Amino acid sequence: MTEKSIEDINERIEDGSVRVVTADRMSEIVSELGAEEAAKEVDVVTTGTFGPMCSSGVFLNFGHADPPIKMQRVLLNDVEAYAGIAAVDAYLGAAQLSEDKELNYGGGYVIEDLVAGKPIEMKATGYVTDCYPRKDLETTITLEDLNQAIMVNPRNAYQRYAAAANSTDRTLYTYMGTLLPNYRNVNYSGAGALSPLYNDPDFETIGVGTRIFLCGARGYVVGRGTQHDPANRFGTLMVTGDLKAMDPGFLRGATFYGYGVTLFVGIGIPIPILNERMAKKTAIRDADIVTEVIDYGVSRRERPVLKKVTYEELKSGMIELEGKEVPTSPLSSFFMANKVAAELKREIEHDKFFLSPQVERLPTDTVAKPMKQPELPLVKDVMIRDVKTIGDSASIAEAAKLIMESQSTHIPVLSSDGKLAGMITAWDISTAVAKRHEELAEIMTKKVITASLDEPLELVIRKMERSNISALPVIDDARRVIGMVSSDEISKLIGKRKKWQWKLRI
Amino acid sequence: MKLLLKYPLPLDEMPYTAEVILETGAKINIDLATRGELIVDVPGDDVEHVAELFREKGVEVRRLMKLIAWDEKRCIHCGACISVCPTKVFTFDPSWNINLEEEKCIRCEICVKACPLSALACIE
Repeated sequence: MTEKSIEDINERIEDGSVRVVTADRMSEIVSELGAEEAAKEVDVVTTGTFGPMCSSGVFLNFGHADPPIKMQRVLLNDVEAYAGIAAVDAYLGAAQLSEDKELNYGGGYVIEDLVAGKPIEMKATGYVTDCYPRKDLETTITLEDLNQAIMVNPRNAYQRYAAAANSTDRTLYTYMGTLLPNYRNVNYSGAGALSPLYNDPDFETIGVGTRIFLCGARGYVVGRGTQHDPANRFGTLMVTGDLKAMDPGFLRGATFYGYGVTLFVGIGIPIPILNERMAKKTAIRDADIVTEVIDYGVSRRERPVLKKVTYEELKSGMIELEGKEVPTSPLSSFFMANKVAAELKREIEHDKFFLSPQVERLPTDTVAKPMKQPELPLVKDVMIRDVKTIGDSASIAEAAKLIMESQSTHIPVLSSDGKLAGMITAWDISTAVAKRHEELAEIMTKKVITASLDEPLELVIRKMERSNISALPVIDDARRVIGMVSSDEISKLIGKRKKWQWKLRI
Repeated sequence: MKLLLKYPLPLDEMPYTAEVILETGAKINIDLATRGELIVDVPGDDVEHVAELFREKGVEVRRLMKLIAWDEKRCIHCGACISVCPTKVFTFDPSWNINLEEEKCIRCEICVKACPLSALACIE
């Protein structure tokens, strides 16, 4: 039985005899030599990931102005940093959008520009006190001018990530990238077998205080990340590192079209091979890591799982989905993840990157809970249940009569089996008269946008806004019409509540 | 070889492409068609003849040498462009570097939006 300590490994780093391999090589070594022998031969396995991690940011200290200011609001290249801490401290989040460029620039880009040494326009406003008499200031700063720039990322290095597809008939622009309609592509994220946390899934070596590679600098694990969910193999880490020591090659501001700004973060974590058990764990292959393909066409928290896949299947470039071969795209970079793992290996071998024992183990059994929130109004709370319908063989005159008598402008048209076949509106009738149509089927809308009973009203409002319609039928699983929901009922319920706080231009 | 064809305005609704195909017998593939503008793929041997005929008919012809501008320095080789491309312009090489086969491009511009690094652009 091989048992090594971190101190033993650090002695080998000191004298240059340490043996390091990148995580992608380990499965081969273990299958060739066996775990026992591999644990003797290998001291450290380096992991790496390079992906978009929105939950990232930097604490900045600007030094005091003269006359001094207590900043209440601070903008860096027109991107707001949180200033609700001490006078000249601020936290700039990667996902914060630019005030004027919106999705095309934001926190992630400012962080990249800082690391690249570029000048940043700074504007700050404050309120006047006896100790902080100044109201506002404008200046230009670079990373060098700051006292501290400390990256603190609340949630990084997700162990794995769900893959995304889209069942709807329109393209969706999401944080999982561009999702083509009708399951025409699948996007996925995470580094697979190179993933730091998948090489130590029980947090035997990665813990509070673990020294890591963070965007080219030496960083540390602060502790568990937010939403840390190791019970479901969705563990996360909170990490920190000195922005001033980072390399612009290992971090990058980016925009997911129609979604927002983020930061690509490069993280590498060394796994000490203390024993046979760690050798076995780091021998994980892409084929062993399973994740789920999720339908992002469903705008709910619990999205339907379409199927389970391994990273090996995802990385092959094609998976089978709903009976079709569908191309896959990673959103995190394997090329860069390999580079991170290789660079960490080099630093351990040649640059005295010493390993650190964990100060405390991370929780291994917590789960991420959903938000506690008041119940949302649903379609069934506002829909009209007494709906007048018409058969698809009826004449236009009959439809006109029904619209007049029922005082409703939207009438669902049913086929002979009682299922929804189309919609007819007062406007359609006028068109029919003007163009001398006779058949209802000729003029009705056949591609009907519908709602279901338990759908939140917020989503129905979005459908109405997007398609510029004022009413839609509520149908059951068999496409039978069970109600109607219209903008009139919705506005009665919602009253003066502001509908959308953020309207993004896509 | 891809050609960008710009029809004279106002459009006279003449079937120029059909005429050129019939006159030359060239196997022309229409990659992209918008009102008054066409991108066609023409077999190498026929390019000269086809371009000349279009020009005679008053259609502006430009050879498309470069279809996509790829900022390799900005690119991190994530692969977000791969699955959205209808003609499989982008592939990974064995070391997970992005490879481009520009001649397959039909200028649909989906990849331009899909690239998180803004490393892709269509060239006018």
